Amino acid sequence: MPKHRLIATLLIDCGNVVQTRLFKRTNMVGSAFTAVDFFNGWTVDEIIALEISSGMEWLPRMQEIVSELSRRCFVPLSVGGKITNVDMAARYLRMGADKVVVNTAASDRPQLMTEITDQFGRQCLVVSIDGRADPTMASGYRVVVDNARRDTDRDLVAWAQEAAERGAGELMINSTTHDGNKQGYDLGLIRKVSAAVSVPVIAMGGVGQLSDFIDGIDIGGADAVAAGNIFHYFEHSTKKAKEAMAAAGLPVRTIGFYKVNMPRRPKYRPF
Amino acid sequence: MTIATSPSVVVVDYGLANIQSVVNALECFTPNIRIAEAGNDLAGAGRIVLPGVGHFDEGMRGLRSRGHVTALETEVLEVGVPLLGICLGLHFLFEGSDEGTEPGLGWITGRIKRIGDGGRVKVPHIGWSEVTCPRPSRLFAELKAPIEFYFVHSFCAPNSGEAADFASATCTYGTDFVAALERGNIFATQFHPEKSQLAGMKLLETFLSV
Repeated sequence: MPKHRLIATLLIDCGNVVQTRLFKRTNMVGSAFTAVDFFNGWTVDEIIALEISSGMEWLPRMQEIVSELSRRCFVPLSVGGKITNVDMAARYLRMGADKVVVNTAASDRPQLMTEITDQFGRQCLVVSIDGRADPTMASGYRVVVDNARRDTDRDLVAWAQEAAERGAGELMINSTTHDGNKQGYDLGLIRKVSAAVSVPVIAMGGVGQLSDFIDGIDIGGADAVAAGNIFHYFEHSTKKAKEAMAAAGLPVRTIGFYKVNMPRRPKYRPF
Repeated sequence: MTIATSPSVVVVDYGLANIQSVVNALECFTPNIRIAEAGNDLAGAGRIVLPGVGHFDEGMRGLRSRGHVTALETEVLEVGVPLLGICLGLHFLFEGSDEGTEPGLGWITGRIKRIGDGGRVKVPHIGWSEVTCPRPSRLFAELKAPIEFYFVHSFCAPNSGEAADFASATCTYGTDFVAALERGNIFATQFHPEKSQLAGMKLLETFLSV
């Protein structure tokens, strides 16, 4: 069986990587290229880059960033943020993304998911779902969209099932009350979704310590675990997370090192 | 390893695959990369890479209509240029695929089948899986166990018949399948070396120097 994946999420606001708490930007980290170069060296399994600025004016810049990222990211790269039509998805894929991530637009117009998978296959589509606990919903969770600014009428687990039926290759689940709070994933939410769908589930939001990754898989039942904030600002972050997962007995990709002579590998250049 | 003096690498474009990732990875090694949009662009290649994500039938039709099939037969089978097929590029080598009805290149006997064991595992097979090498091979010579690669596919070459005879690596997902094969100057991988970090880059470096 495939190994459990560790995914680094890069939240990109106006061309820079930022940290967030409860879906609000807190501080700027720096260049996405530096981050990817480090994570690549630290055996991350996959990278998800999400464009989170409030307007549309940074989207052309995001395409340049994706194109540059894909030249230095030799693990799968998923890209999302304001993808509302199949043309935008196609553009990111042409720039070198391997998958696209949709969230708000999928909830507003579910047909979008089918349009993307018809053209590119379901392995290309990650549906990201944000929610918060709400006792009035059947599953106990409500779907929230638009960077947690807008409530929907959707029950989160029912929506996860619908997204999987409509062709989502994977689901990425975040909680608007856990995001950036360093208290661990919303394990109740992750567990409910994992039990309800047969596609891989990526847990996201709230990792404060390395053991939270293990809980996401062991307790939450997630196939893959993702985080943003925790990976910045400490040395070998993604590598240490992998080591912690391996030490807990989880099957993860090993940290194989090979000396490869890549004379032309892109080097960081600010622009 | 003197990649700088390596011969030109030609990446086969047949209209549907996202070839950018493969080109990006190869560009780390050599500036000498060409993209072949039609068969006559293959002449003079030092290495040929046949990448692929997509549907078998559309891929074969693309290869045929652009003249790649005859060009590949000349360059790979007659001239003996080393070829690396990736993912769908491995499938094309066989006689056909259950994904469609078009005939494949037929360089290796056997048929591509749907992966899995009739529903107990999730299809597609996405993620990092470990492969084992049933015999020594040139492509895997530099890699040490555990060897893990990134896979994303719904169809595979079952580990039986001629596919098994030429398998340089196998993997298990539901059932055993061929993760890589090697027959003379023909190499192919089911996984994506261009997305498999250092292990993948090592494999590409090895291919460029065989």
